[in-house]
Amino acid sequence: MVRIVIQIPGERSCKEWAIIELQGDLETRHPVPLSSKFIGDLHFTHKDSPVLIIGHHILHGKVLTLEKPLAVLTKSLDHAKHVADDMAGEDPEVLPAADSEVKALYEVQAIIRKKILFKTRPKPIIAHVPKKL
Amino acid sequence: MESPMPARSLSDISCILEFAKLDAADLKPCVQCLYFSEHLENDMFKLIELDEPVLEALQHGNKVEIRGDPSEGAVLVTDSLTYDLKEAETSNSMLLLSQLTFGAELQKVADREIANKQVTSVVHNYYEIRPIKPRLKKLHMLLMNNPYRGPECEGDELDTGKNYTFRELQSCIQASDKELRAGLLKMNACDIKGKWRLLDFEFSGSVIYHIIQLCEERNWLSEGVNMEECCQVLGELFPREVIEHLVQCYSREDDASAETGESRRIYFLSEDKICKHFAELCLRNSGKFNLNDFLRAWQESVPEGMKTSISQLEGMALMDKDSNPPVIWFYNVDELPEEISERFEALFEEKKKWSLDEITPYVKDLTDDKTDVGALLTKFARASLQQGIKMFSSRKTS
Repeated sequence: MVRIVIQIPGERSCKEWAIIELQGDLETRHPVPLSSKFIGDLHFTHKDSPVLIIGHHILHGKVLTLEKPLAVLTKSLDHAKHVADDMAGEDPEVLPAADSEVKALYEVQAIIRKKILFKTRPKPIIAHVPKKL
Repeated sequence: MESPMPARSLSDISCILEFAKLDAADLKPCVQCLYFSEHLENDMFKLIELDEPVLEALQHGNKVEIRGDPSEGAVLVTDSLTYDLKEAETSNSMLLLSQLTFGAELQKVADREIANKQVTSVVHNYYEIRPIKPRLKKLHMLLMNNPYRGPECEGDELDTGKNYTFRELQSCIQASDKELRAGLLKMNACDIKGKWRLLDFEFSGSVIYHIIQLCEERNWLSEGVNMEECCQVLGELFPREVIEHLVQCYSREDDASAETGESRRIYFLSEDKICKHFAELCLRNSGKFNLNDFLRAWQESVPEGMKTSISQLEGMALMDKDSNPPVIWFYNVDELPEEISERFEALFEEKKKWSLDEITPYVKDLTDDKTDVGALLTKFARASLQQGIKMFSSRKTS
């Protein structure tokens, strides 16, 4: 049996995060760790439509409000304490169940309500236009 | 060690815009440069969809839990709702950013500005939630494993199954607490010393027999059962919690006078429920029964003053009036599958063609706000006319 408790920690007010969704994967030419690497420039037109330039690709996207918001969860490391608190409030007759029960706590770090979706095929940038011979 | 990428300059940005043949004048002057975070943690974050009720429960600090047996798949529950939980994978990359400004929120500035934004994680999957009806079949099955047969049978050679506390049921039944409680109530489970038990049919039959005898002696069928006195008299024979439980189970629910203060509680036994109980006594384990014989025997078996009626048998017995002689047999909706297509399969196996009135009691519990009996039948059955009456049969048979 598994029971996983999900809660918003602390004051229960949640930060709002965002998603940029791209078709496919981001890859580097050489297999190096991606940490700290530059991805691209995100512009907005005057009509607030997003334009992303990654490497030699231009992507045109749009801002979408998610039909169902997403919660960003992380596993809580001090869940043992939480379980103890949880048990303390219980009716003594309803004691902790079988030892086979796994209990974990996930905390909501943020809520995501909007994303920028780039779903069209990227347009290539041709940097070196061959000069006329 | 590799040094972090140098910050982008305005000229870097202008240069690439030029290559891209984009006119800077068409773009807002604020540029957000995206970087992977120094501590890029792709496995640290899980994404889960929320709908309004779940979000509200989280914001109010109410229960939101994922539960379930690994063999059955997980469900997400709030205090009152159950959701199916499924992992969804996408070939798209979702970059999570703790800070990002959307176009409409960008400050109006004259000169080009750079803001660096960090991607904390790249995610390819998330959990979808879909509201479902609680799955309570297993609850019935677990409790049926070890029905309560009376205090003297506890610990005897037949008392081998496990008994469950509410907490234990919470972690193995795919239902919210509220739905679990409603399910226990509906199957007439009884809290005996902290464990939820179903009463053995013969045992509860014998308790009901004694309750009714006492009622007839003291004229309680018309004046109402005095719970305190009833428990005192029968307390020598049966545990108090069982007597109280059965009197409550077999009483009229709509009765406003059921509770007249803590010390003197009066209950009125329900004619429909008592008659149904006696019908079950007759029909259970007796196969097909001659309908007319049954109706006579049934009326004779119920307490004097009570009137039997076929409508009391809804969802418990089926009749075939066209056979010779007409017959009736025990067929209980509570023992059928709760998954919709399996339910219909079981029904059509029992009987090929059903009229709307016949089938309604056997599918009514599967309906919800969006799907009524008609909609269920449209989807899971085939309608045909037989002597001017609409009949429903399986979609599978040719």
